[in-house]
Amino acid sequence: MLRRTLAALVGLAFALPLLWALSSSLRGTGNLGNSLIPADPTLANYLALLTGGFGRAIANSLLVALATVLIGLAISAAAAFGLSAIRFKGQAVVFGLVVLSFLIPFDAIAIPLATLFRDWNLQNTYAGLILPGLGHGLAIFLLRQFFLAIPAELVEAARIDGLGWFGVFARLYLPLSRPALVSAGLTLFIFQWQAYVWPLLIGTDTAHQLGPIALANMRGQFTIDYGQLFAGSVVLTVIPLAIILRFQRQFTQSIATTGLK
Amino acid sequence: MKVALAFLAPALVALLALRLIPAAIAVGSSLRHTSLVTGETSFVGLGNYVTLFDDPTFLQSVKVTLVFSLIVNPLQIAVALALAVLYTQKFAGVRSLRSLVILPIAVPPAVSAAIWSVAYRPDGMLNAVLHVLGIPQQPFLTSPQQALWCLIVLLSWIGVGYWMMFLIAGMQDIPRELYEAAGIDGASAWAKFWHVTLPLLRRPLAFVLVADTVSNFLVFAPVQMLTNGGPQGSTNVTMFDIFTRAYSVGDLNLAQAEVMLLVLVVLAVVIVQFRLLRAKD
Repeated sequence: MLRRTLAALVGLAFALPLLWALSSSLRGTGNLGNSLIPADPTLANYLALLTGGFGRAIANSLLVALATVLIGLAISAAAAFGLSAIRFKGQAVVFGLVVLSFLIPFDAIAIPLATLFRDWNLQNTYAGLILPGLGHGLAIFLLRQFFLAIPAELVEAARIDGLGWFGVFARLYLPLSRPALVSAGLTLFIFQWQAYVWPLLIGTDTAHQLGPIALANMRGQFTIDYGQLFAGSVVLTVIPLAIILRFQRQFTQSIATTGLK
Repeated sequence: MKVALAFLAPALVALLALRLIPAAIAVGSSLRHTSLVTGETSFVGLGNYVTLFDDPTFLQSVKVTLVFSLIVNPLQIAVALALAVLYTQKFAGVRSLRSLVILPIAVPPAVSAAIWSVAYRPDGMLNAVLHVLGIPQQPFLTSPQQALWCLIVLLSWIGVGYWMMFLIAGMQDIPRELYEAAGIDGASAWAKFWHVTLPLLRRPLAFVLVADTVSNFLVFAPVQMLTNGGPQGSTNVTMFDIFTRAYSVGDLNLAQAEVMLLVLVVLAVVIVQFRLLRAKD
């Protein structure tokens, strides 16, 4: 059972930092210990976080990520529909533009975009945080792949029944594409939830601070409250983890699609 | 045509305004110079690029990024591949053990940096483990020899499970019969891996190689939170160098030139991938 022991040891090594963070978040204030089981577990750190600025930061992160998912999905699904259900001249050029836009890594152009956003007075606004998540070429690409598999006869039949193009999109394509919408939505959510460079460049006042920035700032102070730092780390991890677990099948599927096609 | 454009319009506006126009602005800005004395901006052609290649900080940063990439990418992919093989074997509990490796992919980079920053402390978890094993205390983040490795470990902790998922998805697409046929021919486990798994994993491996390389070119949060590029510039990777140039040094034009170089390198890597994938299909 050599491979089973190996698999268990490796698994444990990967889980260890998270277990350690979790147990440290349950420790009373002031003591940084290294045992995995805290002596008197307490939720004090989490309560202190909620009442401090961090609760606000988590709410901001949730707002930004959810708004990006809703608006981003609407925009991306419509674009994917325009690139798959309807044929037109120059389609290849438009599709090329979409591909080009996601080949340019977002973090690399964050600096020129931040300069632009300051000119447009978008610093310290929710719009400034949400907008960059909306132009997401990969989400369009994932949805288009799925839409292309919807048979053209179905569209024709619906058209003959008197459905307009918007009807075909909203009443035929969207209901058929739940799994693809979920995986594109997950892509958008994770993009915003993990964002660090962009919120650092654009959202600087505390009212608009996002979770990862608030966490990083906890370390900037002269004395670091480790209990709260770990509690914040756990909260910022558990939320996306719960969402990934809930949509595990679609998550794995989107990985298979991006990697193989 | 008009209908299609109506559906496409919001996305096209977003992609243009949020991706392509800023990229174009970076090109233009990288060809200009703003005088710190007069505040006047003038066209300098490729002057900024020449300045960059004369700048010892930039050259040091290129060297660090190169060393970092040459270690972190092969390492992460080799480990991800080995673990993909291990966790696709059939034995009791394999699925739950596999999910332990996948668990850290939910951890945002800033959180990973926060957790490891405490773990690397002189009185942190890692030194406690070393102490139990009888190994003397290590400086980790304050050592120019160890700091880059510290970043590699924390990035691999969240990266390996992610890339492993792509490779496992690829392995599950390989027809069972191929292994059975190889088994009848008396092939060893190693021969099966070498002659069946690896050749049929070419596409996902090429994708993972490129996607991993690109994402490691963009590493920023852990550097900014843990080492600030130090000690002695030993972790000053490109993204951090661009950031300091733009906001600490304050030369935006020079920073944009460096952004352009990074974008060009990334595009080159992606084009190589397309070539690799097209080559045999």
